[in-house]
Amino acid sequence: MKQKDIQHLYWRAGFGITPNQRHLLSKKQKHQVIEQLFLESSSLTGLEVNTSELDHFTAQILIDKKSKRKEFIDKSTEKLKEFNVLWVNRLITSNETLREKMTLFWANHFVCRDQNIFHVQQYNNTLRAYALGDFGGFVKAISKEAAMLKYLNNKQNRKQKPNENFARELMELFMLGEGHYTEQDIKESARAFTGYNNNFEGEFVLRDRQHDYDFKTFFGHTGRYDGDDIIDIILKQKQCARFVCRKIFSYFVNESIDETRVEELTTIFYKDYNIENLMRHIFMSDWFYSEDHIGTKIKSPVELIVGICRTVPVQFKNTKDLLKIQSLLGQILLNPPNVAGWKGGKNWINSNTIMVRLKLPSILLANAEISIKKKGEFEDRFKKYYQKKRKNKFVSVKVDWGTFDGHFENESFNTLRTYLIIPTLSKGTNTYTETLSKSSKRDFCVQLMSLPEYQMC
Amino acid sequence: MCAVNVITRISNVLIMDRRHFLKQSSLASSLFFVPSFVKAFENSLTTSFGYKRLVIIQLSGGNDGLNTIIPFNNDDYYRNRPSIALGKNDIIKATDELGFHASLLPLKKLYDKGYLTIINNVGYPNPNRSHFRATDIWQTASGSDQNWQTGWIGRYLDEYGSKPYNAIEINDSLSLVLKGQKSNGIAVKDPYILFKTSQDPYFKNVLKYYQDEHLSEHNLGYLYKTMIAAESSAKYIFEKHKTVSNTFEYPGNAFGKQLKTTAKLINSGIETKVFYSSLDGFDTHAGQLNSQARLLKVYAESIEAFVSDLKQQGTFNDTLIITFSEFGRRVKQNAANGTDHGAASNLFIIGNQLKTPGFYNKLASLSDLDDNGDLKYNVDFRSVYATVLDKWLAVEDKTILNKSFSKLDFI
Repeated sequence: MKQKDIQHLYWRAGFGITPNQRHLLSKKQKHQVIEQLFLESSSLTGLEVNTSELDHFTAQILIDKKSKRKEFIDKSTEKLKEFNVLWVNRLITSNETLREKMTLFWANHFVCRDQNIFHVQQYNNTLRAYALGDFGGFVKAISKEAAMLKYLNNKQNRKQKPNENFARELMELFMLGEGHYTEQDIKESARAFTGYNNNFEGEFVLRDRQHDYDFKTFFGHTGRYDGDDIIDIILKQKQCARFVCRKIFSYFVNESIDETRVEELTTIFYKDYNIENLMRHIFMSDWFYSEDHIGTKIKSPVELIVGICRTVPVQFKNTKDLLKIQSLLGQILLNPPNVAGWKGGKNWINSNTIMVRLKLPSILLANAEISIKKKGEFEDRFKKYYQKKRKNKFVSVKVDWGTFDGHFENESFNTLRTYLIIPTLSKGTNTYTETLSKSSKRDFCVQLMSLPEYQMC
Repeated sequence: MCAVNVITRISNVLIMDRRHFLKQSSLASSLFFVPSFVKAFENSLTTSFGYKRLVIIQLSGGNDGLNTIIPFNNDDYYRNRPSIALGKNDIIKATDELGFHASLLPLKKLYDKGYLTIINNVGYPNPNRSHFRATDIWQTASGSDQNWQTGWIGRYLDEYGSKPYNAIEINDSLSLVLKGQKSNGIAVKDPYILFKTSQDPYFKNVLKYYQDEHLSEHNLGYLYKTMIAAESSAKYIFEKHKTVSNTFEYPGNAFGKQLKTTAKLINSGIETKVFYSSLDGFDTHAGQLNSQARLLKVYAESIEAFVSDLKQQGTFNDTLIITFSEFGRRVKQNAANGTDHGAASNLFIIGNQLKTPGFYNKLASLSDLDDNGDLKYNVDFRSVYATVLDKWLAVEDKTILNKSFSKLDFI
C-alpha cells in the first residue's frame, strides 16, 4: 500500500502513524493493512479512573445528608477532570486506534454530559464497547444509560406527565434528522420511553407504575410499544441508515458530501446496521483515497493535541494545563457545548483559536519559541544553552524528544516534512521552509507543526 | 512581499468588489470578510451623532434578583426567606416597594442621576434551569426548545460586521454569543499579549512568503485568511489601545480590569460596536449572603469607575451597558441559607439616553409563581435585544433574531 494512502487511512481512522509503522505497512497489500487496523481494534479496553475515594458514598447517605451531596458532586467533578486527561492519554497511546477514534466520533453523536463520574465513565465505556458494533443495539443501550436518562430528561418522562425531550432528540439527532418525523411521532414515542430510570449505581430500572403500557401508534404501526420497539421501528426507515452514513462520511471522508457515495454507504449499512462492516467498506473503497479527500479536513482540537503528542510524546504535569489548552482551542472532552455537539470543520477556527493552534506546538515543545534561523546561519551556542536551561514558563510538561529522535534519526528532512504535512504545502510557504536552516530536526519539527498546513489531515 | 502588503492587497480586492457584492448579498455573506456591510457602519456613522457602542455584562451562575433589588415591603418575600431576607435596614430604598442591596450603593447613585433603568421579570417561556442551556438560550436568543449554534452578536456580525474586532469579548476564548455563521468576534483579555502572540517572527515570515493563491481554497485558504485577519486585528486593537493612557482608578479585581480594558478601547475610538464581559460566581446554593454581597460590590464599584471614566472621556453618551444573568433564583430559600436555580429576574440598562430611568415595570407577584416556585416572566429577553438592535445599534432586529419581537420603550 502506498505510504501516502496509509497515512491518510491512519489520520482518518486514528491520529496519525509513526514512520516505522508506515514503513512496515507499506510492504503490505491494502486489504492486509485494513485487516490489521480492524484486528488491532477487535479487543476492548475499558477506561477507568480510580474512584476509591468515592466508594463510601451510598444512595442513602446522599438522600439523608445534603452536605454529603455537595461533597460527592465536588469530588466527582475533580474525578471528571482526571477522566478527561486519562481519555486524552488513551488516545495518544492506544493501539486500538480505530475503536478509540470511533468512540470519539460517537461521543459527538450521542452527545451527553453529566456530573456523576460513575455514570460518565459507564457511558463512555458503552460508547467504546459499541463503537464498531451493532447500531441498533447501540441506540438501545444509550437510551438506558443513566447519564443520558438525566441529560435528556427521560427520568422525568412519566405516564402521568410525559417529557418529550429524549424522544425528540432520538429522532432529530441520533437516528433520522430533522424533517423525517411528525410532532405526533414524538408524542407517541415519548410514551414508549416513560418510566425509564436508573438506580444510584447507574443500572437501568423500569419504573412499572410510571410506564405507559397502552397502545401507541408510531410510523403507521400500532402496538403496546416500549422504547426498544420504537428504536426497531425507526431502524426500518432507510432514512436512519442514510442519516448515520452522512455523518460518518462528513467526519471520516469529507465535509462536502458526495451524495452518490452516501447512497452507496446507506445501502451497505441498511442491510445489517453493522458499524464495522460500514467502516471496512469505506476504507477498502478506492474513492476514499482520492486526492479530493486527502488533507482536506481541519483537525479537531483533540486530533491536533493527540497528533502532536504521538509524534513527540509530552507528559503534562498538571491536569489543569491540558484542560486549559482544550478550553482555549474550544473542545473540552466530556463538556460538549450542547446536545448537538461540536459542529467541527471551519467552526473550530476563529481569530483566537487559530493563534492558539499555530502557537501550541512551540508552547508545548519549545517554550513558545519557533526558530527562524536561515540556511547557513551561524549557530549561537551560548543562546541555545540558555534556551535549553530555561524552564517552560507556559506549561508544565516533560517532553520526550528521545522518542522523536529515535523515529527520525534515519529519515531525511524531506521525509519529516511529508510525514507531518498532509496537504500540499502552499507555494510561498514551501519556498519559505526551503530557506530555513536544516540543522536540527527538532527545530524543523516545531516549524512544520506551526504551519497552517499542519492543522489539516 | 511583506505581510502588510498581503493584507492591503486582500482588502483592496475586497473593497474593489464591494459594489458588486452589495448587489448579491447572499454571495457577500458567504465571504469571510463580509465587506458589503462596511456600508452599514458608514450609515450609522452618518445618520447618528456618534458611534454607538453596546457593552454586555453577564453575571454568570444565576444572580438572585430578589436579593439584588429587594421587595422590602412584601410579606411573601420575608415568609419565603426566613434566614436570608434582607431587612429594611440592610438596603438602600429606591421606591416604596423596592430597594437596592447595600453593596449596590454606587449603582444607586447612577439610578439617582437617571442613568439606570431596571427591567423586572425578564425571561422567556418554559425557562431552562441548567446554567449551560440557559446561558446558550440567552447567548443565542433562541427559544428554550431550540438549539441554535450561533450567538445573537455573531449574527449581528454576519449581517453588519466586517472585521473580527467589531465585537470584542474581554476574555481569552470566544463565547458562543460572538460566533456567527460566517463571522466571529475576537476575544481579547490583554491587548498586548494578543499582539505579541500574533507578531511571532516565524508567523510573520510565513505570511511574508505567502501568496494568496489559496485564498479561494476551501479549508486551508480559510486558515490562512483567519490567520491574516487575526494578525491584523491583534495589531489594530493593540495600536488603538496604546494611544489611550488610563489614569482612572478601578477596583483591583479581574472584573474591574475587564472594564478598564473595555474603557481604554472605547476611549481609543476603536471600531468596535459590542463588548462582552462576565463576572462569575453567582451560583449561591449555600451561604448566599456573604458571597452575593461581595460579588455585587465588585460589580457596582467597577461599574461606577467605568461610567466615570467614560464620562470624563466624553464617550458615555454613546455607550449603553446591559447587565443580565442567565436566570434568577427560587423565591423560597433552601436549607443551606442559599437559593436554587430559578427563572425570570431583573436586568439593568445603564446609559444617559434612557427614556424611562428608574423602574421600567413592577415586580411580578411573589405569590403567583410558576410550577417550580419561580417568578413568572412578563418581559421576553429577546424584546430587550430587539429594542437595543433597533433603537441603539440601528439595525434590522428581525434578521438577527430570526423573528419579530415587540419593542420596549427604554431608549
